[in-house]
Amino acid sequence: MRSHQGKCGYLRLDGYPSNGLEQVSDSGIDKTFLKDQFPELIDLSDSHHASRSQQGDLLTLIELPQFQSPQQAGLMGMDPRVKNQLEALQLHPDRHLHFGRDPELPNKDTLEFKKLESFSLTLNASVWDPPSLNTLWFELVNGAYGDVYRAKALMNLPDGRSMFFNWIVSQESSQFIPLEEISAPNGRPASLSELVVQGKHLDGLRIQSTIDLCLLNDAVLEMHQMPLRDRQKEAIPST
Amino acid sequence: MNHAIISCLHANLPAAEAVLNDIDRQGIDTITCLGDLVGYGPQPNEVVELIRKRGIATCQGCWDEDIIDGLNACECSYPSQLAERRGHLAHQWTDDQLTDENKSFLASLPTSLRRDRLLFVHGSPNSQHEYLLPDMDAFAALERVETAGADILFCGHTHQPYVRELRDGSIRVRLQNADHGNDQGEELTLPMRKIVNAGSVGEPRHGSTNATYVIHNDATDEVEIKEVAYDVGRTCQAIVEAGLPKVFAWRLSHGFEFAEQAEDASHVCER
Repeated sequence: MRSHQGKCGYLRLDGYPSNGLEQVSDSGIDKTFLKDQFPELIDLSDSHHASRSQQGDLLTLIELPQFQSPQQAGLMGMDPRVKNQLEALQLHPDRHLHFGRDPELPNKDTLEFKKLESFSLTLNASVWDPPSLNTLWFELVNGAYGDVYRAKALMNLPDGRSMFFNWIVSQESSQFIPLEEISAPNGRPASLSELVVQGKHLDGLRIQSTIDLCLLNDAVLEMHQMPLRDRQKEAIPST
Repeated sequence: MNHAIISCLHANLPAAEAVLNDIDRQGIDTITCLGDLVGYGPQPNEVVELIRKRGIATCQGCWDEDIIDGLNACECSYPSQLAERRGHLAHQWTDDQLTDENKSFLASLPTSLRRDRLLFVHGSPNSQHEYLLPDMDAFAALERVETAGADILFCGHTHQPYVRELRDGSIRVRLQNADHGNDQGEELTLPMRKIVNAGSVGEPRHGSTNATYVIHNDATDEVEIKEVAYDVGRTCQAIVEAGLPKVFAWRLSHGFEFAEQAEDASHVCER
């Protein structure tokens, strides 16, 4: 997307749960992250913009959570329900490739699951103690609260930054990317904050109770932010 | 003669028993304990009573002190809000469990023990809460040993066992006298000093779940760091049964500390 000269679009399609495999509802993490990285990104889930999907120079990233390889190759292997979602947006695929099956796509991050649970938590307006967040993430992806195969989050820090966290079990380490947009260090931020986890034997109550120990209360948040505001004031030259 | 030094048992009875059995098997009957008998682990009374029953000379650790003096004796050593809150939770649980008799025993412990040129402390000669980390500035490390008047300083607290030899030490003082325009200098050459950290019996932090302790030969000054495997699963089960946070069991079973400790080698509690 970075190297594409024209417009870019994003569309997330709903996946379908199957026996023993839970889908995570769309938390908006990916859309928020991509919108931050590409401010001109067109959200194709918005019907006003959907017609633009046919523009010749539009590069569209379509995200679709799937659990199993299709039984048939090519377009015939597409789930008809997915096909319907695409047609409603006037999108007509001419090829259908699948991770783990088609050699055109990398195989590295393709995992097979027989059972998958999901856990998600909305953390809007929550602000983390940074070293506590570091510990929580370490414990989470290393199995302290169940076997985690996939975890993704947007988390707010006291200095106004928001961080994108991304973990997949086949990777050696997590991805931590700061968002470009930084809130003013003035109280609780309005930006989206979510945690989404997929895995097995997940203990959502213990994840939640650990998170509660990591979040800053108003008084501590103010202790973090006041010196930042003072420094910002000093940096503004007087007229 | 060989003698053994143990530290940081942290209410982990299976680890304490395994280490003492290992020491017994070698026929060593002089044991010194550098404190932190309690804290985080599930068997504080059992561990204190084991040490008392065996009559092991013990100095007071930071956790032993905090249980007696009350919480917040040293909040500044927690590296995160999460670690601090877990520490408080463990403190409250331990405080509720410990008998008055065992608390009195912890209160009676000295902050240091000395045998001839050997000094035994929990953290440093300055404080039970000060970390003498292996990569601490050599001058500061030498200062700790020298001002305490010891040839060998045995400590714990960091949970990382190590032996550090401070060879060919010298302290040079140069005083410039502006009035007289001349320099006055003095250099003091020090003999070799040694810092020996015994690691931790109950909460190891050296990359494995094995308990560690140290054997020192006071005739040859040879030091051996010993690792002892113990039934970690038994301790983890006791943690869960005691109602302590399950994450303590998870961390211990992976060779991590119950809660992280401050990494800052220069950290000195100023309370």
